[in-house]
Amino acid sequence: MKNNKKQSAAPSANNSRKHLAAKIYKYRGFYLMFLPVFVFAVIFFYLPMIGIRYAFTDYNGIKDPTFTGLANFEKMFSMPNFWSAFFNTLQISIIRLFLTVAVAVIVSIFLNEIANIHFKKVVQTIIYLPHFMSWVVTASVFSLILAPTSQGLVNSFLVQLGVVSADNMIYFLGDNKWWRFAFYLIGIWKETGWQTVIFMATLSGINTELYEAASIDGAGRWGKMRYITFPALANTILTVLILNLAKVMNLFESAFVLQNDAVLGTANVLETYIYYQTFNSGAIPNYGYTTAVGLFKSAIGCVLVLFCNWLSKKVREGRGIV
Amino acid sequence: MKKKVVSLLLVAAMVASMGCGSSNNGGTSNAGTSDAGTNSGADAATTESNEGGDAAATDTASDVEKPEEISIMVDGTVFTKENAQDEFIAKLEELTGIKFTVTQPDHDAYYDVVGQTIASGEWPDVMILSSTYYAGYAEQGVLWDMTEAYENSELKQRQDAFGSTGVIDGVRIDGKLYGMPSARGNGCVTYVKKAWLDNCGLEAPTNYEEYLAMLEAFTTGDPDGDSTNGNTYGVSAAGFIGTEAPYTNYLPEFYQDAHPSFYLAEDGTWKDGFTEDAMKEALQRMADAYAKGVIDPTTLTNGTKDCRDKYYGDEFGVFTYWAGTWQTNLETNLEANGKDSELVALAPIAEVGQYLDRVPPVWAITSQCENPEGVFKYFIEAMQDGGDVQFLFTYGVEDVHWSTKAETIFEGEENEKVYADGEFHGCENLETPGTQYTKAHIDPMLALVELANDPKDESLPESTKNSAALFNENCVAADLVPTTDAMSEYNGDLTTLKNELVANVVMGKSTIEEAYARYESEHGAEWSQAIVDSLNQ
Amino acid sequence: MKSKKKIQVFPIVNGLIFIIISLIIIVPLWKVLVDSFDLKTAYGMKLWPEEFGFTGYVTVLTNQTLYQPLIISFITTICGTIVALILSTFGAYVLIQYDMPGRNFFANMLLFTMIFNGGMIPTYLVLKSLHLTNTLWVVILFPALNVYNLVLMRNFFEGIPASLFESATLDGCSPMQTFIKIVLPMSKAALASIGLMFAVAYWNDYTHYKLYITNSDLYNFQMKLRGMIMGSDSPAVTAGVTENTIKNAAIIVVILPFMILYPFLQKYFVKGVNIGAVKE
Repeated sequence: MKNNKKQSAAPSANNSRKHLAAKIYKYRGFYLMFLPVFVFAVIFFYLPMIGIRYAFTDYNGIKDPTFTGLANFEKMFSMPNFWSAFFNTLQISIIRLFLTVAVAVIVSIFLNEIANIHFKKVVQTIIYLPHFMSWVVTASVFSLILAPTSQGLVNSFLVQLGVVSADNMIYFLGDNKWWRFAFYLIGIWKETGWQTVIFMATLSGINTELYEAASIDGAGRWGKMRYITFPALANTILTVLILNLAKVMNLFESAFVLQNDAVLGTANVLETYIYYQTFNSGAIPNYGYTTAVGLFKSAIGCVLVLFCNWLSKKVREGRGIV
Repeated sequence: MKKKVVSLLLVAAMVASMGCGSSNNGGTSNAGTSDAGTNSGADAATTESNEGGDAAATDTASDVEKPEEISIMVDGTVFTKENAQDEFIAKLEELTGIKFTVTQPDHDAYYDVVGQTIASGEWPDVMILSSTYYAGYAEQGVLWDMTEAYENSELKQRQDAFGSTGVIDGVRIDGKLYGMPSARGNGCVTYVKKAWLDNCGLEAPTNYEEYLAMLEAFTTGDPDGDSTNGNTYGVSAAGFIGTEAPYTNYLPEFYQDAHPSFYLAEDGTWKDGFTEDAMKEALQRMADAYAKGVIDPTTLTNGTKDCRDKYYGDEFGVFTYWAGTWQTNLETNLEANGKDSELVALAPIAEVGQYLDRVPPVWAITSQCENPEGVFKYFIEAMQDGGDVQFLFTYGVEDVHWSTKAETIFEGEENEKVYADGEFHGCENLETPGTQYTKAHIDPMLALVELANDPKDESLPESTKNSAALFNENCVAADLVPTTDAMSEYNGDLTTLKNELVANVVMGKSTIEEAYARYESEHGAEWSQAIVDSLNQ
Repeated sequence: MKSKKKIQVFPIVNGLIFIIISLIIIVPLWKVLVDSFDLKTAYGMKLWPEEFGFTGYVTVLTNQTLYQPLIISFITTICGTIVALILSTFGAYVLIQYDMPGRNFFANMLLFTMIFNGGMIPTYLVLKSLHLTNTLWVVILFPALNVYNLVLMRNFFEGIPASLFESATLDGCSPMQTFIKIVLPMSKAALASIGLMFAVAYWNDYTHYKLYITNSDLYNFQMKLRGMIMGSDSPAVTAGVTENTIKNAAIIVVILPFMILYPFLQKYFVKGVNIGAVKE
């Protein structure tokens, strides 16, 4: 497609205004189609954004907010555990994002190679089921499977293999050294299958002629996977990664249900930190403060997205992510 | 490039205009809210209540106007729609002659919805609040001061006569009352499996030494009689420290007289018990016991449900859990699992002295309520009138929630129950078939006012009555900790730090000295002092 | 000869790997499944139920208080998915008009909503002032605009060859006609996968219900089952002996519709759409 270039040669201003009017007229149907999206965005997202101003106030939802300037941000940045929670979030969230997407892509590519349609359907259905388990249930099942007792399946298996001794089993969820590892694995278990849905759908759009042509050129199975299947996914992979980067700071539920008092040093993320700060305080939450934290998270998300947008423009011939 | 910049600017402008445009609206609506909040809040509320009090004092209470309609916001402790809330409310309206509008948010999100509702400015007349929110909202002037109305009420006389004065005093904030509990808060007692004691040839422990010996016997011996030694644990809990006050209630024998958080000392000042020797000794006891293996090694990651399941599966023998109904629940489940089901509810061991009675949730009247005196007299008081309304709040509606008709329930199942004519019993639960209603909103064993013709003797299982009675005889009310600015500022971080240190010490990852050094260096002591100072002001 | 041998080995190895992966995925699910049929409560893992019975499923499925929530779930899922797909496809279709004046403004405007939000209380106040709270509209309309899914949809649309649009324009098709004649038929996989994502989100939704609906007559299936799944830890609840069985049965029951639906959708993900056939 051609979309860049042109409209650089500027004739007279009048001419270009006419040109613009003509263009708008040409696209009038599209504006009409965008109208419902626009209305939804305004009502459900932009109207509530007036609430962002609470970030600069003291507000508990009862009395009028009082303007406090940057006090909420000062408090946030001065809390000793804030920064550790912040860096934990970035690390855990981004690593998990890349891991799950990478695994999902590999699984999708190999799933695509299964010739037997029934087998493929069965496998696909099985691996996508964990997505439907709530995090609470997932956490309780995995705390059993990973338990450092004879009931813990993983530890029993490791004992059988002779990797660990029976009286020195690994407390995966209760040990700072192991917690993140367990967290990533559980994340992969739960979301890989679900992520493959979008990749499998993308793969189904590949023109079969490409494979035929490649066969004629003498490409083998690996060659086709490498030169046709993977590149076809590249755009989707990029989009999924970038869109999720906007949300990395929102990591909450999965970390919350899997963490415990002993692993807070490595497991406490921003959202859980704020949760404890508000709900362990024994007081009515200061809404201004939580809004300030929210705004900070948004700012980080914004920076990450702008960075990726810039990167995306370099890679994708001047096109941003949306 | 220019185009991109322009479009970004446009977006920004749009956001800004949104912000301004609607912030005007928001501003006005908020002004409305705050009018309601502040005017009828703290200041107005006190004057109002004074008037009410004067009126009550001079003219007797008879001229308090009866409200026509009351809006209430309740959590899941009042019958839900599936459990015939409509019939319940119809009966309540019939008895009181008042129309009720009920808002019952989902139990999980109750306090989110309460917060949203308060922020929206349209407050209900009455809400149920837990101790934390009660203290917070009272401080913010959301709640009507019912002290005057209460002091002159017959309700006070009834409660005093029943020995409930202490419970009411427990929810006073600086001597003032902003909410009325409908029952005691309840707490946990320690249950021990009788068969396990017998198998190990032990008596119920009366002091810590015996308690610990019992745990060791349960851990190393063969208490469950499956001919395998050492496949059981002494005690388990959901975490080493509770997530809400009183934090010690799942492992009281180890904590004994320690206070991990703020408490009112005998000299009338607030203290933080975390750095006291009692707490350090408690940590040492837990660390030793954990190292010995008598505490379930997965205590850290257990949920309460995990503990219950393990208990039913005979994996451990000593479980500190809610008094009353839960003894029966635990026994029924053990029996269904084919285990010996008899449990001994332990009297507190010598070192523990008393179990802790939680601060109960309260029914509070908001300061937006137009006729708070009327609502207090005709609703809050009526709920504990010792008669029909209290009966309704205790057992529900006849032939919906309870019955005296001859009937057989749970037909066709092994546990079928046959009731003769005139025998009081709970009906089968509408939402969860297979279980029976035992109470409505007020637990009969926790009532604050004597209920006339109370059928609890025949309606409640023996084990429920016994464990509740044992608890009631051996409990002391936990302190209601008021909220202060310093508290909302620091207590969240402080509690997180304390919990982390407790877990590390108990699991042997750090020594007590190291933990307390960290407590100092990571501002724990500093925060704690700031909060203590604010509480003692 | 050599390459032929390789081709025969690969499917077997690949198949074996997926069998192993599936087994690993199943283990935790198996625990839930076994417990849902087991009348005894136990903490550990079991290969088979100790005392087999259908009580859990019977209790869940014969519970009449669940019928209305089930209907509400179907209505909101179907209506919501339709509205959401209309918004996503319209939005995505507009976003691939790179030449359209204001296109970038629209794109940024949408992206912005993904990153910034007003927070819980302001959102509630807006919805309340629009009289959406305590109606099913809020749970149908509020989640319908999902920028994440909209951008994924745009990604699929970008893959449609430009020549198709050009020929449609030459034939005098209006944007709407092109959309119906070209875009939608070419995007079955996209509609199926993103429609599935929306449907699952609507089916599993409970956050919007618990925050914006206080009338339990309007609760959906997930909201009701959540109560069962979470169990209760309150001091005075009566725990029946089959609490655990019912809980696990509820977890399985709520997954069932999508276990059944998924294989039907999979035919749209089958490898290879022959674009040439459409083009010619």
